[in-house]
Amino acid sequence: MSEKLLELKNATIKFGGVTALNEVNFHVNKGEICALIGPNGAGKTTVFNVVTGVYPLTSGEILFKGENLKGKKRHQITKSGLARTFQNVRLFGDMTALENVITATDVHKKTGLIAALFGTPLNRKEERESKERAHELLAFMGIDHRADQLAKNLPYGDQRRLEIARALGTEPQLLLLDEPAAGFNPAEKVELANLIRKIRDKGYTVLLIEHDMSLIMGISDRVAVLDFGQKIADDLPSVVQNDPRVIEAYLGVPADAS
Amino acid sequence: MANLKNFNLRDFGADLWAGWNRASRVAFVLFFIALIALLPFAPSFGLTSFLNTPIASYIDVLVFPVGMFVLMALGLNIVVGKSGLLDLGYVAFFAIGAYSQAILSTLYGWNTWTVLPVGMCLAMVSGVILGLPALRLRGDYLAIITLGFGEIVRIIAVNINITGGPNGLPGIPNPPDVLGVKFDLMHSRNFFYLVLILILLTIWMVRRFTIRRPGRAWEAIRQDEDVASLMGVNTLVYKLWSFVIGAAVGGAAGVVYASKVMVISPDMFKFEVSILILACVVFGGIGNIWGVILGAAVLAYIPERIRFLTEARQLVFGVVLIIMMNLRPDGLLPRKKREKITEKGAK
Repeated sequence: MSEKLLELKNATIKFGGVTALNEVNFHVNKGEICALIGPNGAGKTTVFNVVTGVYPLTSGEILFKGENLKGKKRHQITKSGLARTFQNVRLFGDMTALENVITATDVHKKTGLIAALFGTPLNRKEERESKERAHELLAFMGIDHRADQLAKNLPYGDQRRLEIARALGTEPQLLLLDEPAAGFNPAEKVELANLIRKIRDKGYTVLLIEHDMSLIMGISDRVAVLDFGQKIADDLPSVVQNDPRVIEAYLGVPADAS
Repeated sequence: MANLKNFNLRDFGADLWAGWNRASRVAFVLFFIALIALLPFAPSFGLTSFLNTPIASYIDVLVFPVGMFVLMALGLNIVVGKSGLLDLGYVAFFAIGAYSQAILSTLYGWNTWTVLPVGMCLAMVSGVILGLPALRLRGDYLAIITLGFGEIVRIIAVNINITGGPNGLPGIPNPPDVLGVKFDLMHSRNFFYLVLILILLTIWMVRRFTIRRPGRAWEAIRQDEDVASLMGVNTLVYKLWSFVIGAAVGGAAGVVYASKVMVISPDMFKFEVSILILACVVFGGIGNIWGVILGAAVLAYIPERIRFLTEARQLVFGVVLIIMMNLRPDGLLPRKKREKITEKGAK
C-alpha cells in the first residue's frame, strides 16, 4: 500500500510576484482516498491545475506512475490516466448527459476522422462500445434516466454527478475531485461520501479537495493541508485534526499567544 | 412576433422526421433531391417565371452565385458553425482552388477533373500552413489572422506573374465531357448538376462527422475549449482538421468556378466575399447545415433577383438582412436545441 501513483517533488509555481505553490512535496498512493484541504487561496486548485497540465511548473517536477509529466499536453496527460472535475461545474451544456460522457470516452479510441467518414467496422464498434460504457457510468452515478437531457437543464446535483461520470469516462487511474460536495445538503453529502468510497472500491484512486470537514474526516485515508502555497501537514485525518499548525491556519492564533 | 422568434422549424422538422420509418425517409430525401434537380427547368413553367433573374440568365445564377455560395457556406460552416472558429478569410481557399485550375490548365494543359483533387489538396495544405500558427490563438485574434491571410492570398495574386497580376488569367478551358455530358457555355445546366453533386457529397461528409467522434470533439471545443482539452480532446488536431476540411470544400468550389467562368482575376476574391459567405452562414442558422444551405441560397439569389433596382439594390439587400436578423436572430433555421451527435440504434 505504498506504491506512489502521483508524486509532486518541490513543486513551485509563481504567477508574477505571487508564489502560488512553494516547494510542495506531496504524493498520492495507489488505491487510497486522499484529501487536500486548506483555507481559501491556499493553492489547492492550483495543484489540480499543474497536475493536469493547465499551468507549467516554475520549478520542481510531477511524476505520474513514475513518469515525469513535464512537457506533456493536457490531452496526453488525460489519456495517461488522470481526470478531473471542476470547482464550478463546467459541463458541455448544449450536449446531452450521455454525449458529455461519450466525448470523454473518445480519448482512448483508435479511430479518428477518416474512419468516421467511411464508417469502418472498427469505428462503428468503438462508437457502440463507448455508448454502452457511457450508459454504464451514468447508471453507476445514478443519473441514467437523465441520459438524453441537455447537461445545462439538469438539476445542480445531477450536474455535479455528471461531471464525475464524465471524468470516469476517460478511464482514469487517478480521479481528481474539486469540491464535489459544494452546494450539497447534508443528506446529499452522505450519499456522495458513499459514492466516493464506491469509486475507490472499483479500483480508482481519488484525490479530492473539500471544505466539508466531516466529509473529509469520514472518507479520507490521508489528509494533506496547504496554507499559502506550502504544505503544513500530511497525515491521518485524526492526527491532522489536532495539529496546532492546521488549527492556526484555519482559525488564526489566539491574540494572547503572540 | 414573439412566436416567430421562438418557432424552431429545425426542431419541428426533426420531430416529424423522427416519426417516419426508413422507407418514407428515403422517399422524402429522393423527392427533395429531385425537386432541387428540377430547379433549372423552373422558368419553362409559367407560374414560376417570377424566379427568373432580370439580367443574368437564371440558370447561370443557379450555378454562380447560388450553387457556389451554398457549397462555400457549407464549407465555412464546418469551421465557424461546428468548431466555433471565426474565419474571416475563407475566400482565400476559394481563390487557391480557382488559381490552381487557372494555372494548371492554361500552362500545363491539365483538365478540370485532374485539377479538382490537386486544387483541394493545395487548399488543404494552405489550411495547415495557416492553421498551425493561427489556431494557437482564440476568438478575435484568430479572426484577425484569418482576415490577414485572405488579403495576403489576394495581394500575392495581384503581384506575381504566374497569376496574371491584376488582369487575371483568361482562357481557362471548360471541363471535358463526361460520358457525353457537355460542360460549356451552352450547357450551364450541367454545371448546376456538378455543383449539386459536390453539395450532396459535402452534406454526406458533414453528417458523418457530426454524429461521430469528430463532431463531438468539435462541439466540445466550441462550447469550452479548456475543458475539452482536459477531457482528452486533442484540440489542436481537431481544430486543424475542421480548418482543413473547410478549406478542401472551398478549394473544390474554386476549381469548378474557374472552369465555369473561364476568366478569373484577383478582384473576384475580395474580403467582401468572405463576409458574404459568413453572412450566409449566420443568416441561415449557424451550425445547422439545412439552415446554412437555405441562407446561402437566399442571400446569393436576392441580389440577382433585384438587379433591376440598380443603385438601390445594395440598400434593399441590407434592409432585408437587418429585418431578418431582427426577426430571427438565430437564423432562418437555427441549430437544433437538442442536437443528436451520437449514432442512433446502438443495441
